[in-house]
Amino acid sequence: MNEAAIHELLVAKMADAVVGWNAEEPEAVADIAPARIAEVATFLRDEQALDFDQLMCLSGIDWDGLDEAGKGKSVAILGYDEVGRPETSDRVAEGDLGVIYHLYSHLHQHKFTVRVRVPRDAAEVPTVSHVWPTAAWHEREAWDLVGVRFAGHADLRRILLDDEWEGHPLRKDYQMPDTWGSVPLAGKDYAKNPYAKDPEPEAADGAEQKPASTDDPKSTGDA
Amino acid sequence: MSFENTTPPPGYDPAQEQRLDFEIDEQLSQVIVDDQKNVLLTTIDEIFNWARLSSLWPVTFGLACCAIEMMAASATRYDIDRFGAGAFRATPRQADLMIVSGTVTAKMAERLKLIYEQMPEPKWVVAMGSCAIGGGPYFKYGYHVVKGVDLLVPVDVYIPGCPPRPEVLLDGLMRLQDKIRGRKGKFKAPKWISNYAKKIPYQT
Repeated sequence: MNEAAIHELLVAKMADAVVGWNAEEPEAVADIAPARIAEVATFLRDEQALDFDQLMCLSGIDWDGLDEAGKGKSVAILGYDEVGRPETSDRVAEGDLGVIYHLYSHLHQHKFTVRVRVPRDAAEVPTVSHVWPTAAWHEREAWDLVGVRFAGHADLRRILLDDEWEGHPLRKDYQMPDTWGSVPLAGKDYAKNPYAKDPEPEAADGAEQKPASTDDPKSTGDA
Repeated sequence: MSFENTTPPPGYDPAQEQRLDFEIDEQLSQVIVDDQKNVLLTTIDEIFNWARLSSLWPVTFGLACCAIEMMAASATRYDIDRFGAGAFRATPRQADLMIVSGTVTAKMAERLKLIYEQMPEPKWVVAMGSCAIGGGPYFKYGYHVVKGVDLLVPVDVYIPGCPPRPEVLLDGLMRLQDKIRGRKGKFKAPKWISNYAKKIPYQT
């Protein structure tokens, strides 16, 4: 069954859940209403003609800087500058967040892709981890890196980053951290050198010039 | 206190030292001739450093793709054991070399520092590959990468490459051995001992 036929069958059964259809992308994508995704997932898995028994991938996505068709316009993503200082910007990200589900049927050997789109300030999607158990970890990853909440997930914790991490790094407006706990994450020219001697009291007014006296080899000698 | 300023033993006569210039200490030369054995003279530093550089035991510690090259260097084709550094220890308490082979992430940084602190002195660190030197390809957008392991522990030798080939790792190891060989300890032989040692003839 090709993707158009799968889409027709899906629309025939639950027309109100399918809010969009785009067959022109490299892979055809059906847009699903976020509140109905668990229902649609159950249908796609249990319908005999479809039998999507595997969730190949579940990806979180940040649509900030993309147009309605999902085509990319370049967005300046914040990183570290040439000396390793975190870049800052006043730009506020506006685009929606979303989740993409790539499905595969071992019996019929066909694929299908559905996606949901949720507003940025209320990014919550029903979980599909009871439909495909493999989604449990994928949803934890999407929550960890993009910050999409999954309602009904049994154990929605961070999976890659530490539990105390702040923010969701794959969001387009994420600002790179300077340190994490005691671990320096900025570049050498900017971060505090742990082997440098403490600055002399005479340099009390040098609080603004942060990169000073970090890479002086003489200051790393034996004490 | 300095060993240099210790006093000579009671029987030592500085005048006798002058007399012995370019003459064989009869007593000592008799020992050499009688036993037909060689006598080696060295300093404590030199013999300790020689022992240290000849048996560098790295801790089993691989972080990323550089670790694959480190394994290749320890396999038969390159054979890091030729340089005495093939005994990868599974505990830092038996190791004295840490080869940081790969990307140091924020989560790994604490573990790396803990492993380093568990190693007994003297200990050395080799930063292998671009990531361990300065973040490598993760410098710009690596929110989770430490931009160089020397922000965490002191590094002795940097080995560039992404990843470095095993030959380069072996070369870095030899540079580290050079560094250990030239290392000066706190012990310094008293002057009267070094002067006395100079007067002993060198027989081939």
